Amino acid sequence: MSEITVKLDRVSKSFGEFTAVKELSLAVRPGRVFGLLGPNGAGKTTTIRMIVNITAPDSGSISLFGRKIDAEVQDRIGYLPEERGLYRRMKVVDQLRFFAELKNVHGKQVESRIDEWLARVKLSEWKNKRSMELSKGMQQKIQFITSVIHDPDLLILDEPFSGLDPINVELLKEIVLDLKRAGKTIIFSTHQMEVAERVCDDICLLNKSEKIFEGSLRDIKSSFGRNSVAVRCEGGDGVLDDPALVSKLVRHADEAQALLAAGADAQVLLRRLIDSGAVIGKFEMIEPSLNDIFITKVTEAT
Amino acid sequence: MKKFFAVVKREYVQRVRAKMFIVSTVLLPLVMSLFGIVPALILRMDVGSPQRVAVVDQTGKMYGHLSQALSNDAPNQEGSNANRAARALGNFILQEVAADNQSTEQIRADLDQRLRARELDGYVILPPDFLAHGQVEFRNRNPGDVFSRRVLEQALNRAVREQRLIEAKVDPKTRLELSRPVALQAVKIGDTGAERDSGGSFALVFGVGFVMYLAILMYGQVILGAVIEEKETRIAEILFSSVKPFTLMMGKLVGVSLVALTQLAIWGIAFSAFALYGVGVLAGRGIRATIPTIPFSHYIYFALFFLLGYFIYATIYALVGSMVTTAQEGGQLAMPIILILVVSFYLFLPVSRSPDSPFSFYVSMLPFSAPVAMLVRIVTQTPPFWQIALSLVLGFGTVLLIMWITARVYRVGMLMYGKRVSIPEALRWARQA
Repeated sequence: MSEITVKLDRVSKSFGEFTAVKELSLAVRPGRVFGLLGPNGAGKTTTIRMIVNITAPDSGSISLFGRKIDAEVQDRIGYLPEERGLYRRMKVVDQLRFFAELKNVHGKQVESRIDEWLARVKLSEWKNKRSMELSKGMQQKIQFITSVIHDPDLLILDEPFSGLDPINVELLKEIVLDLKRAGKTIIFSTHQMEVAERVCDDICLLNKSEKIFEGSLRDIKSSFGRNSVAVRCEGGDGVLDDPALVSKLVRHADEAQALLAAGADAQVLLRRLIDSGAVIGKFEMIEPSLNDIFITKVTEAT
Repeated sequence: MKKFFAVVKREYVQRVRAKMFIVSTVLLPLVMSLFGIVPALILRMDVGSPQRVAVVDQTGKMYGHLSQALSNDAPNQEGSNANRAARALGNFILQEVAADNQSTEQIRADLDQRLRARELDGYVILPPDFLAHGQVEFRNRNPGDVFSRRVLEQALNRAVREQRLIEAKVDPKTRLELSRPVALQAVKIGDTGAERDSGGSFALVFGVGFVMYLAILMYGQVILGAVIEEKETRIAEILFSSVKPFTLMMGKLVGVSLVALTQLAIWGIAFSAFALYGVGVLAGRGIRATIPTIPFSHYIYFALFFLLGYFIYATIYALVGSMVTTAQEGGQLAMPIILILVVSFYLFLPVSRSPDSPFSFYVSMLPFSAPVAMLVRIVTQTPPFWQIALSLVLGFGTVLLIMWITARVYRVGMLMYGKRVSIPEALRWARQA
């Protein structure tokens, strides 16, 4: 498991006139959670579809576990697409067994795994219900099980948490992190940067079919430094609006987030605020959010 | 292969377990037997109330012949089934009314009154010149009773013929000879010189064709639905990371087809039981039904060409399913399929007329018309074995080709939800993908 789990080498794909993915290279290391991030239409889903062999790239090469994809490699992948559903009239247990069989997992171990997973997502009592009787959130958890029922070495999740309530998001997030601890490799695609920030080790930022950054989340955050300040204060508005000190100001409900201008010092800002007579409730140096990094990177690239 | 069987198993088990399947399986034989039994019961119901008909015989010669022609134990000369049923219906009680000394108007007025008083159901006046002109009037309270009218008409015909023959001085023995009915028997001269009855085989070809037609009508839509199912429920993408589209499509086709065969087998058994019972009943009444003797090889051909016909059309439904996004859309696109099916069914006629013509040859090679055309050729003038084999290879080859195209179109179409595909687009997809 020391080699690269998923490797893309200058992969391109277009649909007619439209280029979905352009000259994309990336490497997913084993045992890591790899975030494929970007806004809608950036080419995330197309990239994933090429990895799981649903579409073939126009040019470039893809290797999984060090080889070209084939039926055997396919059985080691678990895939939860963004477009997902269940057979409406089929019982949950039959459904999960069917998906396991499609991954060449047969016999008794399937039954025990079904029970284990249903217990884990707290749906054991729904085992013999038809999926049409389940709520949307429950269905989504069953869909998640279909992608892990065959114990895959590589799990690919496309927007896995969309539409889930916070409790279930937390539940699935814990499961994903458990899988990572068990040595599985996970590719995680989302446009919700806050979610990615909490789960991913490595990230790849895509925008308009092209990669704009790839690397570990830690590295990118430290490279940006601590150049943002969270401020809660009364008065001092004129200071925060000074472009020499603050390049960007975002006001939230009870506090503001100020991105320091190039060359500006946080200490200077604090002194100016006190001098202006503002009453300060909070003044804290913070890391830039992934969202901020993304926006900065996109602006830099254009 | 294991994945293929997983798909087949799912399609089969899910459908056979469904309430719809159980209900339709049980209901159809029930409905069919009702259709068989109820009309017979209804026909029998009226036997108890014979019609009272008065006959005024102004010729003075006809009454005897007529009552003999109408009575049930008279030899049934034009004995078709419908006729027999009609005779049971048109059960008459005749009574002769003397015509002497009264004018026709007087008699009529008198009988009209009895009609109104419901002492009579109808009356016939045979005028003196009846034998020459054959004009007669049947007056009754219920002119809508076509059955009685026809029975009476036929009886009068026989009576008139009888009387005319007597007047032509034909002796009774010749009279009987003259009216004996014909029995036409079709006998086939086979290549080996052996004679056998091909009428029965023809009926079987027709039966096979009909069952094929029925199976496609019922299960074409099911296959279409099965292909669309993963698109509508958006499962397709999950499946494609596990199984090849061709495996999935073949699995669906085979799974649904097994359901169809299961249902047909159940109906076949029910029908056979019913038919055997019917043969028993007929035998009890002295009517013998013979099962046509057909060489064993023909049964194999029947089975093979039935499967071919079914699969050829079923795959077209699958192809349509791969191009559309909803079942309704598919239903509209599938209409021409039925048309092709019906046309190829009617090719039965020209092929049976000249089974060795070049036309028959080509038609029996063309996959869409081969099942019926080739079977007709086999039971009429069995073609050389290579032709039968070629027809089967071409046919099943086409099935695989269509499924291959279906899988390709499906795979590409799946990536573009919500859009219906034009046929040139589908072909392009089939080439690339």
